[in-house]
Amino acid sequence: MRKGLVCLFLFFAGVGVFFTGCSGSASSEKESAGELNLFIWTEYMPASVLDAFERETGIKINMSTYSSNEDLLAKVKSGGDGIYDVVVPSDYMVKMMINEGLLLELDKTKLNNIENVEQAYLNRYYDLGNKFSIPYMGGVMAIAVNKTKIASPIASVSDLFGEEFRRNLVVLDDNRAIIGAVSKSLGYSLNPATDEEFEAIESKLLELKPNIKLRDSDSPKTAMLNGETAAGLMWSAEIAICMQESSNFTVVFPKEGCYVFMDNLTILKTAKNVENAEKFINFVLRPDISKMISDEYPYLNPNKAALPLLTDSYKNNPASNIAPEVFRNGEFVQDAGLKVEKYDELWTKFTK
Amino acid sequence: MLFDKTKFTSKTVPLFVMVSPATAWLVLLIAIPLLYIFVISFCSTTESHNIAFSFTLKNYIKLFDRTILSIYWNSLSVSVLTAVFCVLIAYPFAYIMVKTSPLKRTLMMVGLMLPFWTNSLIRLYSWRTLLGRNGYVNDFLIYIGVINEPIEMMFTRSAVVLGMVYTLLPFMVLPIFAVIDKLDKTLIEASKDLGANFIKTFCYVILPLTAPGIFAGVIMVFIPSLGLFFVSDLMGGGNNQIIGNLISRQFKEAFNWPFGATLSIMLIAITIFLVRVYTKKGGKLDELGAV
Repeated sequence: MRKGLVCLFLFFAGVGVFFTGCSGSASSEKESAGELNLFIWTEYMPASVLDAFERETGIKINMSTYSSNEDLLAKVKSGGDGIYDVVVPSDYMVKMMINEGLLLELDKTKLNNIENVEQAYLNRYYDLGNKFSIPYMGGVMAIAVNKTKIASPIASVSDLFGEEFRRNLVVLDDNRAIIGAVSKSLGYSLNPATDEEFEAIESKLLELKPNIKLRDSDSPKTAMLNGETAAGLMWSAEIAICMQESSNFTVVFPKEGCYVFMDNLTILKTAKNVENAEKFINFVLRPDISKMISDEYPYLNPNKAALPLLTDSYKNNPASNIAPEVFRNGEFVQDAGLKVEKYDELWTKFTK
Repeated sequence: MLFDKTKFTSKTVPLFVMVSPATAWLVLLIAIPLLYIFVISFCSTTESHNIAFSFTLKNYIKLFDRTILSIYWNSLSVSVLTAVFCVLIAYPFAYIMVKTSPLKRTLMMVGLMLPFWTNSLIRLYSWRTLLGRNGYVNDFLIYIGVINEPIEMMFTRSAVVLGMVYTLLPFMVLPIFAVIDKLDKTLIEASKDLGANFIKTFCYVILPLTAPGIFAGVIMVFIPSLGLFFVSDLMGGGNNQIIGNLISRQFKEAFNWPFGATLSIMLIAITIFLVRVYTKKGGKLDELGAV
């Protein structure tokens, strides 16, 4: 009898494995004019865009995803040459990857659509002159508020410490973002420098701890939409989706300034399909394609040529069509160097 | 002694051919990575987040940091609770499975295994829908008038334990089922003949005889539950860190592979210690690996 049950178990396990295998191999039959290996954030590139590119050029795209810049860096460094062609690091990670010599200098003559990108988002600290990177999508971290649950006005992160938020907040599971936001609410930089600043941040952070119901980087909007929490610190696009779903939600950009980010299209030095990578980047920068991406993922779109094409729900939503001054007054996070250990210690205390 | 050619071709060559792929597999994919983990646990990191190969003990000293110790404590208590609840649920389940008809036994087995067809992340997410503030359970309790305000069930330590028990239960049922199934029924009959009631028979005959299965199950539940960081993330909302969270964060966010390696070495040490206790008590390693 025991043997029979073991067989049963193996059968069930085996069936699962078998069908997993099937779905993977069915689509790889098509004729193709070369390949492109795209490594990008989860929920950041609609399948419709990949299909359109494949239809137009015949180039087959293999997309894999990551959910943090650190994850991206670790996989690029340990993954071996030529596994990925195009990667989409955020601002500070672009700088780190340039410093490590991982990125290929772009051939602008093949990327004529770069002129579609709004000047304000080019030539930033992490890649002056945009030699290695072109802005793809960006955003800020802001406060999402459920108006039906919170009566008092919210203007800053320091307004989230009150009793009414006890176990009522969802925040990103991102130490730099949350520590940075608390730091800014105390009047420091998003990138605190001195030990005194870190000490002040630590005590403030522990004050915030009882108010945190959950930390979630993947989909903090779900906690807001389910009524699990009354307010939260999350990326602007998540708030934009909340606001599309229900008029109960509103976005507050903290008056002390936001954490801003910009994700950038780059090509790895070890890429095997450089020409296809250039074609793809140029394709993504086309206004009609950029619109397709914005329709699906309402991040800040730096493509000025695409703006007139975008839907009203993008243009009229302050959380997706972020005002230029909000972005200008914000701050980029910077690589912390050896201070990452400090951040990790703070975060461990905050989350234990 | 002369070189024995027949023995070489008939014994050594086949042995070499059969065993070397498995050995190569073990060396390449287990021994070398483990050795690497051990080596970098004595290293530090550079400013550009690479590993500096210079000897230091600071990672091991950091293990005794108050915050780290409290996470160990929290993690161990979650694991103990998980193991206890798993035994309490799995033992009667396995017992009934042995006693019942073959058809029902198969159905119970299928019922236990079928959820494994679904990704465990999705299964854990569904608990959020059930137990959330506006979830079905709260809605129902409010509807029938038991409570007025929703109870906070998700994102607590109890929710983490629930998630662990839910994920790991089959690993407790199977070894316990195996020992109860093998139980010599004449011993139970003898106990009854000598006038013991069911409770006495259970306590003095059945339980001692099935203890190895319980212990095997405890090991197979306790050890993974120290590392299943996604359960703590999804069910605890990230507020109830276990050792696994700490390790994954060192590798994924803090760029501190050396400290992550040190924490992993500690976890391996805990595992070896528990397995040693298990074998000392007469448990067999085979029963940990097989169903």
